[in-house]
Amino acid sequence: MTARCRALARWTLMLAGMMLSALTLADAQVLRYPATQSPARPLEIYGALDNQLIAPLLADFHARHPDIELVYRNLTTLALYRRFMSANATSADVIMSSAMPWQYQIANRGLAQPLDSAAARAWPEAYRWRHELFGFTFEPVVIVYRRDALAGATPPDSHEALLRLLTHQRQRLKGRVVTYDPWRSGAGYTYATQDARMSPRYWELVAALGGVNAALADTTGDMLDGLADGRYAIGYNLLGSYAREFVADHPQLDMVIPKDYALVTQRLVLIPKRAPHPDTAERFVDYLLSRQGQQVIRDKTPLGAIHTALAGEGTALDLRKALGDAIHPIAIDPSLLATLDTLKRHSLLERWQREYTRLSDGPP
Amino acid sequence: MSPTFKPPSLYRRLLIWLLVPMLALGTLMLIQAYLASRDTADRAFDRLLESASLSIAEQVKRQHGKLWMDLPPAALKMLASNAEERVFYALYDSYGNFISGNAELPRIDTGQGNMRFANIEWHDMALRLGVRRSRLEGWRNRQPFEVRVAHTREGREALTQTLFQGSMLRLIAMALLAIGVVLLGVRMALMPLTRLRRAIRARDPRTLAPLELTLPRELAELRETLNDLLARMRRVRTNQERFIGDASHQLRTPLAGLSARAELALRQDDPRAWHDALDVMRGSADKTARLASQLLSLTRLNNPESSPEAGDVDLCDIARQAVRDALSSSHRAGIDLGVETPSHAVIQHAVHWQLAEALTNLIDNARRYGASRITVRVGEAPRRLEVEDDGPGIPEAQRLLVLRPFHRGMESGQGSGLGLAIVDGIARAHAARLTLGAVHPHAASPGLCVRLQFTEESIP
Repeated sequence: MTARCRALARWTLMLAGMMLSALTLADAQVLRYPATQSPARPLEIYGALDNQLIAPLLADFHARHPDIELVYRNLTTLALYRRFMSANATSADVIMSSAMPWQYQIANRGLAQPLDSAAARAWPEAYRWRHELFGFTFEPVVIVYRRDALAGATPPDSHEALLRLLTHQRQRLKGRVVTYDPWRSGAGYTYATQDARMSPRYWELVAALGGVNAALADTTGDMLDGLADGRYAIGYNLLGSYAREFVADHPQLDMVIPKDYALVTQRLVLIPKRAPHPDTAERFVDYLLSRQGQQVIRDKTPLGAIHTALAGEGTALDLRKALGDAIHPIAIDPSLLATLDTLKRHSLLERWQREYTRLSDGPP
Repeated sequence: MSPTFKPPSLYRRLLIWLLVPMLALGTLMLIQAYLASRDTADRAFDRLLESASLSIAEQVKRQHGKLWMDLPPAALKMLASNAEERVFYALYDSYGNFISGNAELPRIDTGQGNMRFANIEWHDMALRLGVRRSRLEGWRNRQPFEVRVAHTREGREALTQTLFQGSMLRLIAMALLAIGVVLLGVRMALMPLTRLRRAIRARDPRTLAPLELTLPRELAELRETLNDLLARMRRVRTNQERFIGDASHQLRTPLAGLSARAELALRQDDPRAWHDALDVMRGSADKTARLASQLLSLTRLNNPESSPEAGDVDLCDIARQAVRDALSSSHRAGIDLGVETPSHAVIQHAVHWQLAEALTNLIDNARRYGASRITVRVGEAPRRLEVEDDGPGIPEAQRLLVLRPFHRGMESGQGSGLGLAIVDGIARAHAARLTLGAVHPHAASPGLCVRLQFTEESIP
């Protein structure tokens, strides 16, 4: 009896310790910009965006609004969503996330408040929903390959070309291709649903990927690392915003935006209805959508700027000019809800698994 | 009537009675138009719920012993229009267990058929909910299930507004047109009234000629009534003019006689002749005075503005008094004057002096026209006064004429010609019936019976 009690106590202690360490870990993911002017107005932002990506943007905003006491917390998309949906947690003032379906689900439930500012009104209709949800980045999904590994072959500049390459060079590429794991990665699953909706031939591509025993990764970072150190020759469906910088630093790699169609994903920002400081939140979102904010996104981050007046590498304007109709931004509309449906998820993943193992010699 | 009070205008009255109901009707029509617009919008958008739920239901199947669906994203897109509605969907099994969806939506128990709609309040949102009841397709195990879809009302409201604005504009245009037509119509309809007013105002105040004016039927009646009044006034004036003429003539004759007699007497020196002349002159003056007093009575009787004080009078009393007054002079003339009355009083509401005057005149008349026997009678049930004589009487054809002033039954008579006219006036003032009849219709001297019979309305 006592032994069991002691065991339970030890367990509890251990759990508490784990939670504490988790908290301190979380604290490491916090950026603070204290106000330099009084009265200080607090603003708390939760985002699924790495600190080094968001920092230039926050710094510029803080320089423009020195009276704002800014706190930025970096969370994973899943943690962000769970934290928001749990009723008792205090809400953030602004939520930014690349998990488009979840952000849409929050806004659809009426949990976001509309923003009525000049920048919000001028924002292109395709990149917002109801003035509650705004896409503020423009990030194509790309193919990255090693120049040396594909010597002699035409680089895959479209889904069609990739399928042909995987079919014709099956033996040579075995184990040398990498893509997102749709089971484990939310982004990978979203791309898979979008790919499947674009063309039924996507399933041939999945089969071909299974045919070369493609490796399945969790993040774009993992894939890029594997490509850089030579483990992989081709990476499919990488997040272009990360890949662009990485490829620029690694001359052995090359990045292609598919010419038949290029999925474009966006980070969505919203102001929760429960936001404790809606005034500062509105100032921040208005800044994100303003020309100044978008300029910082273009110049100091790899996330593409959307603002219609901004041109330059990585911007929506440039991509549209280069690729025209092939640019296929993931629409901010109710079909995003379909990707969240559990049954739908099971159906799609089952099909994916079936196609993936169709041509493979053994289990992946 | 105070000077600030303005009598209601016919024009305004017509306008109020036409425009107020029209406005009320217009308001009702607007409300109806709004309801119809909302209904139309709801029906149009309910089709979306219907087709979205159908396309979801088609994807429901049985897998691993459970309900399974491959949610078509297009079905969700279908639920949102340009108004960017919030959309919700859910799949429920036949026991009401939630299988999948992005919201737990309530069921609808009311209504019939496989597709039901309801407006619901859900998490502070006004939603339109559509529930489709369906069954699995297949050879066996046709398990029932429910697809519930819902969206917010922005699109419906926008369509309602658009439809309603369209009908409102049409209604307003129609109302403006109708108001214009009513204003014009009322003005046109009242135009003849203005014409009539102008015609009356433009008339010479002395003329009594009938109005000659073409008018609509309703106003033509008014014109005819006016013309009738004018005709009566013309007759009254003719009568008055003749009466004044006759009266002056009647007064002038004895006065001229007086003057001639005096002149004749003055030429003589004999005091006896003077005495004779004076005697004659006195008789003449008496006669003239009597004529003047009769004229005065007639004028008083004919004056519509005099209201003589009436009271309860005993007819027998009046009859006896009249006979008493005339007795001595009748006796001198050798006329047998008598009175017949019931033993008790006969009470009638009347003007005393007028009835006395009538009897005096009738007795006087009979005497002057050669009666030798005069009977004054009071009758009951109906109450009446009668004066009967045995004189020459009045031929039937003359009986109405003698009632007119200055008409004498016989040129030979020595009356003033006013007696019966006065009696007629008194009878009329009492609303009594005056009848003239013969006593012995076939005798040489039929005699005359003048009867003044009181009726129910005989209250002056």
